Amino acid sequence: MSYYDVDAILTDAEKIPCTFQLEIPDLGYLDNTPTQPLKAGTKVNLPLWLAEMLVIANTGAADNKTFVTFDLPRALANDVVQALKADPRAVPLRDQSAHFYGLATHMLDLSEEQELGSVLRKTFVTRASEISLHARKVGSVSHKGKGKGEGAAEMGSNLGVGSAGEDFLRGLDEWERSLFRKAHEGAKAGKEWIENIKKN
Amino acid sequence: MALSLPPGLTHAEVSFLAEMEMVTVVPRQRLDSIDLLSVSNLFPHPTSRHDFFFFFFFSFFLFFPKLTFPFLSFQGRTPPLRPPHRTDLPLWLALLLKKQRRANIVPPAWLHPASLSEIVHRETKENPTAFSEPPPAPSRADLRNPGRAHRQQQQGNTETATGAALLSPPFRASCTADAPAGYLPYHWLEVAESLLAFAGDDCAALGSAGEIRGLLRDLVEVRAAKMRDSTKTLGAEEGSAGGVVSLRGVGAMELAENRGFVLGVVDGVRRIGASAEATRREEEENGGGGGGGYGAGRGGDDEEDSDEDMGI
Repeated sequence: MSYYDVDAILTDAEKIPCTFQLEIPDLGYLDNTPTQPLKAGTKVNLPLWLAEMLVIANTGAADNKTFVTFDLPRALANDVVQALKADPRAVPLRDQSAHFYGLATHMLDLSEEQELGSVLRKTFVTRASEISLHARKVGSVSHKGKGKGEGAAEMGSNLGVGSAGEDFLRGLDEWERSLFRKAHEGAKAGKEWIENIKKN
Repeated sequence: MALSLPPGLTHAEVSFLAEMEMVTVVPRQRLDSIDLLSVSNLFPHPTSRHDFFFFFFFSFFLFFPKLTFPFLSFQGRTPPLRPPHRTDLPLWLALLLKKQRRANIVPPAWLHPASLSEIVHRETKENPTAFSEPPPAPSRADLRNPGRAHRQQQQGNTETATGAALLSPPFRASCTADAPAGYLPYHWLEVAESLLAFAGDDCAALGSAGEIRGLLRDLVEVRAAKMRDSTKTLGAEEGSAGGVVSLRGVGAMELAENRGFVLGVVDGVRRIGASAEATRREEEENGGGGGGGYGAGRGGDDEEDSDEDMGI
């Protein structure tokens, strides 16, 4: 991940629910009570970059408390994970978070959720082969779609994926979209080459 | 990001390389041997085709001397063409002569509809998960046909290079008339498409062009589906033989087409497993025994690791 990676920056801006462990003066406005200190135990949604710092940072207190503890964001809540376990393809990840996997890998770094990791990996590869299928089929007969990813609706798809496929493609998160783009570009280049072979 | 091209060769580059494949022609006119680019003759006449060739090979040579050396030694004099005798020529020259109606191309045996449908059958029924085998090593064709199977042996001055050169695809003579049926060579799609496009009448000797084309489409689809599913094993749970994708027998064009996707999947899996991998390493460093608990991530992670080492 590069410093200028827009996706990484946007991932860092995702909010995750945190609980403050200490009372902090002058931060009450985070909880809509600007005149009072932020009480210990308050739940606040903090952006990932800040939460990450606060979770790792040491307060120097004797009991080794951190500033905040965090819960898994709603995108990675138990019901979503259960749904992913049941059928990865049926969950529109983009509705959970546009940077689902980015967020998830950050969460994996911070917490020790081994099960989440294996569920995610299974989800990713299962959806990947589906993505590749769609990428190959999108605009397979006519090239009017210009191949700009999801914009190219299922024109001339011979798979009968139709509107269901469109829904699936709409539910791709950013990692998957870039995967779709790569797969589609490969397939498109192959088709163009076959069509142009007579010309040179 | 100075270069916007994706890693690996593009389709145009792959089909350009495929023109190095030897095919068998039946000349219709006499033609003396042509002095082509070779190590001893690095500066060709400024015809456009040779210029391009020269530029391409020379720049390639600068970057990958080991890879290109066989190409250079392979260039040189083409055998003289005498009408009734078959000769092996590189595809580009054969197509050129074909366009000028000075030669007919003998399509390789694997392009026969029977051979293609046998391969389709093998790919779909007998072994629905793996790609069909590449053609066997060239020594067999050599034994049957010692005088003619490999042109560079006739040249005399490059004999030292033949031993190593025989192993790389353009020298396996996998697209000549002697090539065994039932095996897809490395450049199968490119050669088949070029032959169908430019030498359709010669291919008609095998069967109708439409039939061949249909079978080729079937093969492309079947193998593309396999390529898609090959990434699924990366997510396999512990205990199964997950994480290994054998790409043996995959053609150059398929590789070019799927490189971006497969690398994307592998990289994604690596990133998802990165934290589990880091934990496991820490554990190993600390206690020497990871024990259970992290097993779920293990099979795949080792695989990803080696990928990282290779710099993919």
